[in-house]
Amino acid sequence: MRKIFPAEELARDARFIRQTNEQRLSDPRGTRVAGGNASEQLAKLTPGLANGPDRARALMHGIFVGEIQALEGAGRTCWDFEVGEDVPFELKLDMARQCWDEARHCEISVSLADHMGTELGEFAENGLLYEAACNPDPVLRLTGVNRALEGLAIDVFNTMKEFGNLAGDPVLEFCEDWMLADEVTHVKMGSDWLRRLTENDKERLEKALEFQKVVDRLFSFNGFRGEDDDSPIQLTRRFRELAGFSDDEIDEIADMSREARAEAPS
Amino acid sequence: MPEVSVTPESFEMVFYDSAVIGEVVAEVAERLGIDEAISLEIDEQSPLGRSKITSYDPIELWVDGGALENTQRPRQFGKARSRDTIGRLLIRIMDRRSGRFDDAPADEDLDLNQFAAWDAHCVGRLERLGIGGQQKRRQYQFRNRHGFTDVADAAFTQLWDSSELSWTEIERISEECRTS
Repeated sequence: MRKIFPAEELARDARFIRQTNEQRLSDPRGTRVAGGNASEQLAKLTPGLANGPDRARALMHGIFVGEIQALEGAGRTCWDFEVGEDVPFELKLDMARQCWDEARHCEISVSLADHMGTELGEFAENGLLYEAACNPDPVLRLTGVNRALEGLAIDVFNTMKEFGNLAGDPVLEFCEDWMLADEVTHVKMGSDWLRRLTENDKERLEKALEFQKVVDRLFSFNGFRGEDDDSPIQLTRRFRELAGFSDDEIDEIADMSREARAEAPS
Repeated sequence: MPEVSVTPESFEMVFYDSAVIGEVVAEVAERLGIDEAISLEIDEQSPLGRSKITSYDPIELWVDGGALENTQRPRQFGKARSRDTIGRLLIRIMDRRSGRFDDAPADEDLDLNQFAAWDAHCVGRLERLGIGGQQKRRQYQFRNRHGFTDVADAAFTQLWDSSELSWTEIERISEECRTS
């Protein structure tokens, strides 16, 4: 079986339509983000918004396809690298555990989609998460996926959990809470392996953190994820601390979002 | 077939065809028994899904470009979504003209609960006519406004299944969920 499986060849049935990053970023109306669109002045996602339930449905579908890709990415990490030469066996064990979690998240997301009245494949799928999981360096891969993207997942799940709470929807609230707990663990895995594998390699550490920033920036459209009260997705400081982020790192993500928001067209 | 005028005539940001849109609007109107001129204005710059009736007589509709979009293929025209959007607007016009909605507040004075309840009643009827549907999506919207309870679910079913409710009945059903 070949190593590093290309994103274009991921298996999907006829229900799923892939939207490339070029298509996504070249939409003159703005980029789809957080169940809304970067061109609008996106308000914090709450049930009180006229389009709140529909935005939540779209975001939940984005989470669902993200879970599929996270499963595919963690699965590839189990296979793409050799024990001893590339990675320790324990890293593969963590990735195997993550596969188990992501598979469960896929099933939860399918049930949630049904609960919210969404058909599988109703919205376009973007493959950016899996593309980050194609990095040939396992340290960069784990940093980009587990720290940047799973870090974003912490923020998204917490926002959706609050959405469920505000709407009085216990199904959404509890499902998001359970998945959130797993995401904190996944981010912590990324933080731990980054530290362990770069203990004596400062250059590799810097490259990995730079890759994390690149991925974080790609998901910072108009600063939609931030600490301001009206940020569509709330940056979740507490859970990020639990996942091994330092205060400086969280400040940096918050600053990046603030800058992106200030630069956004009004 | 009713005469339909679509503005703009050509699109720069989305891959829509005003002739195709006009056909879909005319087809929906015909199935609802509307045989009069309809004007549709589209804001192609907006990918959101808002829509409104700007005039009841003559019929003038306004929609975001996103309200006619294929959600699987951004920027492409979505026939099913367009039928749903246009159908909801036209059936509301029919309701307002029926005499059963004389005591309903103006559209701009309706709150989100009232809109969700009326929408459930509109889309249920549209589905039986073979236009639109997505019952579970509408139920999720209704639950967000009226609660995730058995009472709200029974109210939704009543709104969805009924053929000709008056505004007073819709209001009563919606109100009962909120006070239960």
